[in-house]
Amino acid sequence: MTSEYKKPLPLITGLSKVFWDGCKENKLLYQRCKDCGQVIFFPKMLCPNCMGHNLEWKESKGRGKIHTFTVTYDSAPPEFMSSVPFALAVINLDEGFSMLSNITDCDFGKLTCDMPVEVVFDPVTPEITLPKFRPFAS
Amino acid sequence: MASIRGKAAIVGIGEVPTGRYPERSFIEQSIAVAEMAIKDAGIPKKDIDTVIPIGVVANPLDNANVVCSLLVEELGLGTSAKSNFEIMSGGSSSANALKVAVSLVLTGLSKAVLVVHSDRMASGLDIGAAITTFARASISQEYEVPFGFSQLALAGLLQQRYMHDTGTTERQIASVVESLRKWAALNPNAMMKTPRTADEVLDSPMLSSPVRKRMMNVLADGAAAFIVTDAARARELTETPAYVLGMGSRCTNFTVTGQPQDIQKSWGPAVQDAYKMARIKPSDIDVAEIYDAFPTFILISLELLGLCRRGEAGRFVEEGHTSPGGKLPVSTNGAMMAQGHTGAGGGVAILVEAARQVMGKAGARQAKKADIVVETASGGVGMDFHVGVLGKEA
Repeated sequence: MTSEYKKPLPLITGLSKVFWDGCKENKLLYQRCKDCGQVIFFPKMLCPNCMGHNLEWKESKGRGKIHTFTVTYDSAPPEFMSSVPFALAVINLDEGFSMLSNITDCDFGKLTCDMPVEVVFDPVTPEITLPKFRPFAS
Repeated sequence: MASIRGKAAIVGIGEVPTGRYPERSFIEQSIAVAEMAIKDAGIPKKDIDTVIPIGVVANPLDNANVVCSLLVEELGLGTSAKSNFEIMSGGSSSANALKVAVSLVLTGLSKAVLVVHSDRMASGLDIGAAITTFARASISQEYEVPFGFSQLALAGLLQQRYMHDTGTTERQIASVVESLRKWAALNPNAMMKTPRTADEVLDSPMLSSPVRKRMMNVLADGAAAFIVTDAARARELTETPAYVLGMGSRCTNFTVTGQPQDIQKSWGPAVQDAYKMARIKPSDIDVAEIYDAFPTFILISLELLGLCRRGEAGRFVEEGHTSPGGKLPVSTNGAMMAQGHTGAGGGVAILVEAARQVMGKAGARQAKKADIVVETASGGVGMDFHVGVLGKEA
């Protein structure tokens, strides 16, 4: 699997490492500001609401709804052309943050906006596990 | 804030045909449009004391050269110019350049500002630059790149939710392309002049659902320029200044994930600011020059601008009201979908077209009435929204 995986991997920074280390342990992490309660994602240095530094990491239950989606059939980024068709979606998590990911394990023709989805972790290399989503019956 | 309404104007415009022109060099097309704008304004070139090149995407060296005053030397402005600096905010560079140019002439820091966009996205594109620009720009390297996101997928995400929220049909979205192609057929500078019916658009292959191949723009070579000066000087120079009546903008996000999901709420204030400054209401607008990149953005913008009620823009376009002869001409140059995508120049072409309509210089596609023209721009993955109002009377 390691030598086979040719798609781009996430840029690891001091901040993003915490998130991706979480994924490796099958935990979907987000931040919350301890001063004002703001839910934060993508992970940030400062609270975008109050500029506070007092941020804590929280674990999401990994459930939410598809805000919007697209199934790419052609003209994908070069490294992804071997994987078409694939589904991309903006997912609104129940905790109040949004993320971009892939929707897997489903019939693409049955995807709809506002469909409930849950996280499923895909270990693509020994270091990186991608959090993807699949539909579930709520 | 003191109102800038009617105190500055666009007095000259220049543009070369947009398309695939491998024999036309970067410098040739840059100087051609600058010369056209200077001659169109009838302005002595010594009055131009600020030169603003717009960011170049296709070639990093061309970009570095215009940053370093290439245009000042080539145009012989070295004895009059006080400043040369680049403005770059992708698709919204036009709006930000206009904002800066108006500010400079109204504070007296400049007498006249020349803004030049030039890029060779069809025949001069560096492959590395292309990948960076269209597969990676405005996409988080930490959290989005690993999933295969692209600008095309962005169009899919936006269109999918818009259709879900409003009940707009795929055919109505395809009709935007039909309308733009009809305008392009009347525009000697447009790239895609072949007519396309909505049905032909729907027959093209699906690229990233629900976006089909003929709903995408095509990369092009192109250049355009405009000159801004204060209203008093504008009246001395020309009988047809395009006065700047109002401007409004909001800059909201970097990534698509970070884009506010209620854009009526987040970008609506940009429209309200511009209309308030211009002292107009939507029914005063004769022509709407709307920035596209892809067709859904035109529908969303028609609704943001108050020109259609929420969810009704698709039907409005399908009924032909935005096409030549319709009651509200929209994007009369064909926009990027039909004039061509020139990098950061799509917005510049739209702004130049708005000025052209107000000046009465749009030839076969001149609107019967173009006293008040609204124009828009947006950069990145929809990182901002800019509204400008131009008018025949100050």
